[in-house]
Amino acid sequence: MSEPFEPKIVAFVCTYCTYAGADLAGTSRMKYASNVRMVRLPCTGRISPMFILKALQKGADGVLVSGCHPGDCHFAQGNYHARRRWTVFRALLAFTGIPEQRIRFSWISAAEGAKFADLINTLTEDIRKLGPFDQYHELQKVIETQATY
Amino acid sequence: MGIQEQYISEAAGLLSSGAVKLVIGYSEGSTTDRRRPVFVRTPAEAERLMLDGACVANLSTYLLSEGLLSDGKSVAVFLKPDGIRSINILAAEAQLNPEQLVIFGFDIQNGQARPLQGRKISDFTPIVEAARAAGLSPELQGEAERLEHISAAERFEYWKEQFSKCIKCYACRQVCPMCYCRRCIVDVNQPQWVNTSSHTLGNFEWNIVRAFHLAGRCVACGGCDRSCPVNIPLRLINHRMAKEVLDAFDYYAGESTDQKPVLATFRPDDPETFIL
Amino acid sequence: MAKIGVFVCHCGENIASMVDTANLVAEISEHPGVEICTEYKYFCSEPGQETVKRAIREHNLTGVVVAACSPRMHEQTFRKACAEAGLNPYMLELANIREQCSWVHTEKDEATEKAIEITRSLIEKVKRNNALFPISVPVTRRAMVIGGGIAGIQAALDIANAGREVVLVEREPSIGGHMSQISETFPTLDCSQCILTPRMVETVQHPNITVMTYSEVEEVDGYIGNFTVKVRRKARYVRMETCTGCGDCIQKCPVKKIPSEFECGLGNRSAIYTPFAQAVPNVPVIDRSRCLYFKNGKCAICKKTCQIDSIDFDQQDTIETIEVGAIVVATGFQVQNTSLYGEYGYGRYKDVITGLHFERLASASGPTAGKIRRPSDGKEPETVVFIQCAGSRDVSKGVRYCSKICCMYTAKHAMLYSHKVHDGDTKIFYMDIRAAGKGYDEFTRRAIEEDHAGYVRGRVSKIFEENGKLIVRGVDMLLGRPVEVAADMVVLATAMVPQPDAKDFAKIIGIGYDEYGFFNEAHLKLRPVETATAGIYLAGACQSPKDIPDSVSQASAAAAKILGLFSREHLEREPVIATVSDSTCAGCWGCVTACPYNAIDHRDINDRNGNLIKRVASVNPGLCQGCGTCVSFCRSNSIDLAGFTEKQIFAEVMAL
Repeated sequence: MSEPFEPKIVAFVCTYCTYAGADLAGTSRMKYASNVRMVRLPCTGRISPMFILKALQKGADGVLVSGCHPGDCHFAQGNYHARRRWTVFRALLAFTGIPEQRIRFSWISAAEGAKFADLINTLTEDIRKLGPFDQYHELQKVIETQATY
Repeated sequence: MGIQEQYISEAAGLLSSGAVKLVIGYSEGSTTDRRRPVFVRTPAEAERLMLDGACVANLSTYLLSEGLLSDGKSVAVFLKPDGIRSINILAAEAQLNPEQLVIFGFDIQNGQARPLQGRKISDFTPIVEAARAAGLSPELQGEAERLEHISAAERFEYWKEQFSKCIKCYACRQVCPMCYCRRCIVDVNQPQWVNTSSHTLGNFEWNIVRAFHLAGRCVACGGCDRSCPVNIPLRLINHRMAKEVLDAFDYYAGESTDQKPVLATFRPDDPETFIL
Repeated sequence: MAKIGVFVCHCGENIASMVDTANLVAEISEHPGVEICTEYKYFCSEPGQETVKRAIREHNLTGVVVAACSPRMHEQTFRKACAEAGLNPYMLELANIREQCSWVHTEKDEATEKAIEITRSLIEKVKRNNALFPISVPVTRRAMVIGGGIAGIQAALDIANAGREVVLVEREPSIGGHMSQISETFPTLDCSQCILTPRMVETVQHPNITVMTYSEVEEVDGYIGNFTVKVRRKARYVRMETCTGCGDCIQKCPVKKIPSEFECGLGNRSAIYTPFAQAVPNVPVIDRSRCLYFKNGKCAICKKTCQIDSIDFDQQDTIETIEVGAIVVATGFQVQNTSLYGEYGYGRYKDVITGLHFERLASASGPTAGKIRRPSDGKEPETVVFIQCAGSRDVSKGVRYCSKICCMYTAKHAMLYSHKVHDGDTKIFYMDIRAAGKGYDEFTRRAIEEDHAGYVRGRVSKIFEENGKLIVRGVDMLLGRPVEVAADMVVLATAMVPQPDAKDFAKIIGIGYDEYGFFNEAHLKLRPVETATAGIYLAGACQSPKDIPDSVSQASAAAAKILGLFSREHLEREPVIATVSDSTCAGCWGCVTACPYNAIDHRDINDRNGNLIKRVASVNPGLCQGCGTCVSFCRSNSIDLAGFTEKQIFAEVMAL
């Protein structure tokens, strides 16, 4: 038996809700898989689709994008704008063959530490089942081997 | 009098009266079944204009040429319904003042060019409404659905193969009326979001970003598709985006000169079934 | 060259028990650009902070990463330490290896690996941090209150009593608002006029308050601390400076049969009038559309009557430009037009009235001097039916929300009626009795138990006239059977809705509104008084239906917010704001549309001869809150957000 695959997951989160929710999971000493790396932004409105592509390039097998629930955004509307972008970008990625299961979106409030911990566990397990995103990472390897500059 | 003669004579009249300083239309192309853009500045030159079923290019792109409209003078332009929608978007995005345009509208039916009534952008509202009512291209939709029915991995391979052909010539960007940015995201190198070399990862990123930037703005004129020297089905990916904004946000690009950009607005009850 | 100092905190055992800090330090020390990397038990402690400060000075550090707890915990602490050591406080990042690492993982090697990666990515970010400086915005320490109802009056008084100037703008000829129309107030049955008029007088006489009645806000420019407001002072045709308010002109005016707006049409007024006897200021206005002089150039009896020549038919509207630092919007509400309930016969039957009509009937200063008389024939009604939720909580015809005050005022009406008509009979059709508030439930109980208010749970389906009676047909849901009441008068508890021009006004002033037209607060729970536009605050029923206590509380809260703002001459703001690259901005204005704070505007770039070169987007640092929504919209990457720049995030992600 080979070792179980440990996926790499990058999370882009807003500082006011999901980051705070993750902090709450910590202060409550909840336990969850260690596969996630957080990138803290002021608001989901700041999360550009490019971030997701870069995370995939750097070897992420899954990406989580998360912010405040609708109506709770610290910046009033940032998450509504983000939601539209996600809808469109998600459809685009799916259409180009990047599996929807690898790019996930959630609303996690500052009070939802348990939801954060559960989601990271579920997400890690889901992506572990999908296996590494070699298809995308191969593209990066092509650069590294072909590069002559 | 056929539409070609009628439009030529009207264009010549506009130029001789000084009502417009330039007419952007079509003329003979490199082969008998192709037409190329022509820029007519004198009544005499108007004879070069042609209008028939082969006039497919969306000429609105040429209106964005630096400084063309900044003197406030009027320009006439030949436009199909897709080009008219482009004008609506460009006006909504403050890239031109539609009051400066005289529009020779036409449509192609059964290989023939037919005139559209009106000369001002506001005259064409019913045309755009009819275009919306007619729906997105069933042909492209069929193609998109075919792709959606295969597995993600197979779809990825399909696009990987398509994008691997890309040589980053940016012909798609040059021909597109929506690609008017002074500096394209691909030319940003601090930081270098998009890999500029024409390896597949960079190509993948470039084409995804371009499709995203066209979501809710592409009018399916097909310019990118036709100009692509390696035949990447760019129209397909843009069609998928048009379908998404229509289904999710009831948004049809280029409906009016004051339509707000789909990604700069929102409704509190926008769909969000995918968000956990 | 970057010289980064990395400080790995043990947080006692909190971090060190799960993260191999020695390994972390060893790995990080090798990272390019790291000048010094040390570990310590508690970096947040005094000696810990001293270590950081000493390292900054001794190694001339250009950036600092503290690998410790959440930035939400100690970012400010270490920013301060950096500043004290001479390093710009924004050249700091916190790597969260406690809340999001050591506390949540169980395998030491995994946690250590994660801590290393987190720290590395933030080292790469901090290398690209820029020195930022708090934005200082001068504050004009004068407030404007728009709307002179009880909310506006309270806000104005609170601000003025704290020593700041206030301009109170009211579009009607008198301040007072809806509260001045009310007879008695729940739950104490105080006379509304008795508690309100002293406040009105205090307001107009206050040395710090300038009251502008019969005036409307036309334009608002600027941002927090620096608003420029244009106010139209409508021509009164009566000189404010000289009029003594003797009322002779009103007495003599020959046009007397104009339905009074204040009396809801139950009484009349003349063409020159004050809305009510206790109006403040007590200076009449001429209703130009009704005045005979303005109609045909004749009459002018008021001018002849006036002993001090205060009538001025040539007066014109004037526009005043006023500089203020903050604005309270207290523009109030109106009652919903009930004509959409054809089955209730409002407008068709004179004796079907709204709650506000009833207030006027019950008011000692009203058209009937406080006697309950039905409008059709002036008889005392023997049976009165009250219908609650006539418009509220009605998805199909009215509004979805609860108007909040109707349960209480209906109970009050039933009480007042029984006090005035001792053998009268009341029936109140209701859906629920919502009486949450201090003394409220006791009040409705009193209406039932002491004043025998006849509550019937159910809806009314139809009202029609028969033999001089209004036949009210409904259902008693609790008994499960139809009810029919022969009433002399029916009072509809109509919904509270926004002012008819609320949405237009919101656009003028630059604040948001909901689907109904109520103004949006910045955050329903945590910032209920602020709007999304910094410096503009809400008070009263313009935000949502409210009773008097709630309106007054919110007004005082708004005043407190403003006094906080006015406590300093300059406003210091976090420098995490967006900036536009002029050279690459394509001027599509998507960012202008997307910005939740209206903080982005157009700016012309001209050459030295003043010729326009191009128009670009421009962020107002006074308004920008730093969400970054514009940044990710911009297709050409022409906007960036200080503190979270594209370069910083790129580096952070690429180091993961």
